[in-house]
Amino acid sequence: MNKSAETSEKKGAVLPIKTSIQDSIKDLLKNGIDHCVFDAVMIPLRVPAGDSFSYVLIKNKSLLNDAFPLPPTMSVQGAKAVSSVTRLGNRNMKIAAVMRPCEIRATIELTKLDQTDLENIILISMDCPGTMPILDMVNEPEKTMTLFNDATKSWDDTQMRPVCQICDKSSMVAGDLHIGTLGTDKKSFFIIPNSTKGKDILEKLKLPLTDSIDSWNKKVKENSEKKLKKRQEVHSDLKNKIGDLTNLLDIFSQCINCHNCMRVCPICSCRLCYFDSNKVKHSSEEYLQRAKDKGSIRILPDTTLFHMGRMMHMSLSCVSCGSCEDACPMSIPVAQIFSMVADETQRLFDYVAGRCLEEPLPLRTYKEDELHEVEDVHG
Amino acid sequence: MTEQFEPRIVGFLCNWCSYAGADLAGTSKLKIPSSLTPIRVMCSSRIDPVLILTALLQGADGVLIAGCHPGDCHYNEGNYYARRRFAVLKKVVDSLGLESDRLCLSWVSASEGQRFAEVVNEFNEKIKKMGQNPMKKKML
Repeated sequence: MNKSAETSEKKGAVLPIKTSIQDSIKDLLKNGIDHCVFDAVMIPLRVPAGDSFSYVLIKNKSLLNDAFPLPPTMSVQGAKAVSSVTRLGNRNMKIAAVMRPCEIRATIELTKLDQTDLENIILISMDCPGTMPILDMVNEPEKTMTLFNDATKSWDDTQMRPVCQICDKSSMVAGDLHIGTLGTDKKSFFIIPNSTKGKDILEKLKLPLTDSIDSWNKKVKENSEKKLKKRQEVHSDLKNKIGDLTNLLDIFSQCINCHNCMRVCPICSCRLCYFDSNKVKHSSEEYLQRAKDKGSIRILPDTTLFHMGRMMHMSLSCVSCGSCEDACPMSIPVAQIFSMVADETQRLFDYVAGRCLEEPLPLRTYKEDELHEVEDVHG
Repeated sequence: MTEQFEPRIVGFLCNWCSYAGADLAGTSKLKIPSSLTPIRVMCSSRIDPVLILTALLQGADGVLIAGCHPGDCHYNEGNYYARRRFAVLKKVVDSLGLESDRLCLSWVSASEGQRFAEVVNEFNEKIKKMGQNPMKKKML
């Protein structure tokens, strides 16, 4: 995680918080534009109606005043935003993308899948207290804003989405710069570089360096250990709750086949998903045959196949961002189930999605001598 | 009602090794259970795990995936990728509480007709003991 930070003498920079952390981050970004460290900033902005947020690309720094570096909800997963801007290449404009750690991790996974061009992108993350359900903001915008503001101060996650309450990677440093608010005296914050790009920026902006970010490290460790414990508890409860075929089918039988979870998933970047293709369009004869075999057939069929198939295709890159659960109109706990499965599949290869750009995708590499336990024992 | 349970097993066999091995088993007149429905694929890594899941969810009692021995892949490394995918599939199936024992990955070379017959017979017996796939009668 902190590989590059360990090798440098100075661990990061420390800046005072003037009015609020959000304002201080915006000042930092304005400073970056002034010093031509980057040409534009990609950052969430509250939509005019006030009930949602949207990523915008800002070149004019005065517009940054209205930005929300850390919005209460996640309407578009940041990785999707970065991908849509850079998928066809990005040579001319240096962009600072300000996102949550899970969004950065998804961006890194998408980069491994050749869906972004990070050459001129500076990824800036920050300690994330969690994200609130997207509908809270639509239904009660002001109340949600207040609750979220309180939560960022108290670090209380009870109002957050269930999958955020079990996120042990909410301070994971995977991008170029990370803004650390944990373990400070509330009057200052850390800026932690995680790449040469990040370090160069600290130098160019002449930020006051510090050689100790121990208090941040300590607090982050504490926090993620606590969350990890909860994560394991919740996953094992969920596993018991699913437990067998009937329960599994019950959960996914609520699915209305809208494919929203796949549509919003940052990892699901295929131009044509198998589950949208002609491969899953059957003739009436096939339906009848299956009805005959099974007694009856659900129409539209194969909701469980869809979810399990998606687990096969993307769980190794799943960052548990929770977009799928936000998007599910039937309130199926998709993100929780997927995070449980993803943890297990990623553990197979000692892989953590989005941890590091250099780690290859597990299904794109192999070892000659491995996994003999899955082979048939015959002979 | 004591009619003996005859499983239905879908076998994905790689063209270069396992399918040839099955062929050899046939020409050697070895006994292979009729429960196996072979599907020839060009490489074990051609099999999207979703195809295996489809078979399983639609009620196949067992799914066999057979390819060249590691190191002998016609395309050099296909079976190594197949093994990784199979491991992920098994993990997904396991973590949702389904029976991953109904899935089998085996290596059979073109000269191993005998081995092919043994692998299929063993797997068939195992599935017989497990009984019918509970998904067979579930509406999906």
